[in-house]
Amino acid sequence: MFSTIKMTIAIILITGIAGAGMYVMKLRSDNAILKANQHKLETAITEQNKVLEKQKEDFTAILESNKKLNVLINTFKKDLQDLDKRFTKKNRDIGKLAIDRTKSIERIINKGSANAQRCVELSSGAEHTEEELKATLKSEINPECPSLANPNYVPYQ
Amino acid sequence: MYHINKILAVAFIVLLTGCSIGGEKKIKIFSVEQPREKLDYPMPTALQLEELKWIIITSENAQEVFAKLEAAGIDPVLFGVTDKDYQVLSRNFAQIRQKLQETNNLLEEYKKYYEPEEKK
Repeated sequence: MFSTIKMTIAIILITGIAGAGMYVMKLRSDNAILKANQHKLETAITEQNKVLEKQKEDFTAILESNKKLNVLINTFKKDLQDLDKRFTKKNRDIGKLAIDRTKSIERIINKGSANAQRCVELSSGAEHTEEELKATLKSEINPECPSLANPNYVPYQ
Repeated sequence: MYHINKILAVAFIVLLTGCSIGGEKKIKIFSVEQPREKLDYPMPTALQLEELKWIIITSENAQEVFAKLEAAGIDPVLFGVTDKDYQVLSRNFAQIRQKLQETNNLLEEYKKYYEPEEKK
């Protein structure tokens, strides 16, 4: 009877010690997993921050691009208004002028046509000539599209 | 003896399973990123337009203009527009040119945004 009780106590003790050992090992393993999780979460946060930073950069780029496009569209409007102005300035009638001064109007129209053609070439990506780049005076510019043809020309106020 | 076997069996089961049931789960993050190939088209070739000559013809110089054309060996025929239509043509031409510029600009902006040059 006595030996049975002793054996039972011994078994309980051994089991308890073994269980405690296992429990400590499990705690250590859990700790390692939690540390790894923590590291992964921190990495994820860093990556998220990078994504946010990139998004911010993208938004800035989009805004910048939109601004450029708006400037371009406003320039287009102004170019068209200037073109209209050239035909109608001070109640100008190009038809009557052509009857009165046929040769000079013909010359002006041909020059305007050549300038407009050059504008199309530049719009399609042609390189600027040195002359076009250097032009800063009104007499030197291409009046059909000064903003495109003569980037260094600042219109007089 | 029967009780000892029972106790041993229970102890053995506890020993095997420990407290591992319901333990911490590992986070698994998969991220597979394969960047898209760049289209990398070259920009369209710039236009090179041919020269065009306008001739103004009025009721007064018509004879002279046709005579000159004949003398130069050109068919004495002209395709005309009125002064108002000339203005319309100029405006249309300007708008086509602007659209071309706008499209090219958009293309450049898209390229810059989606295919930025690699930082070295």
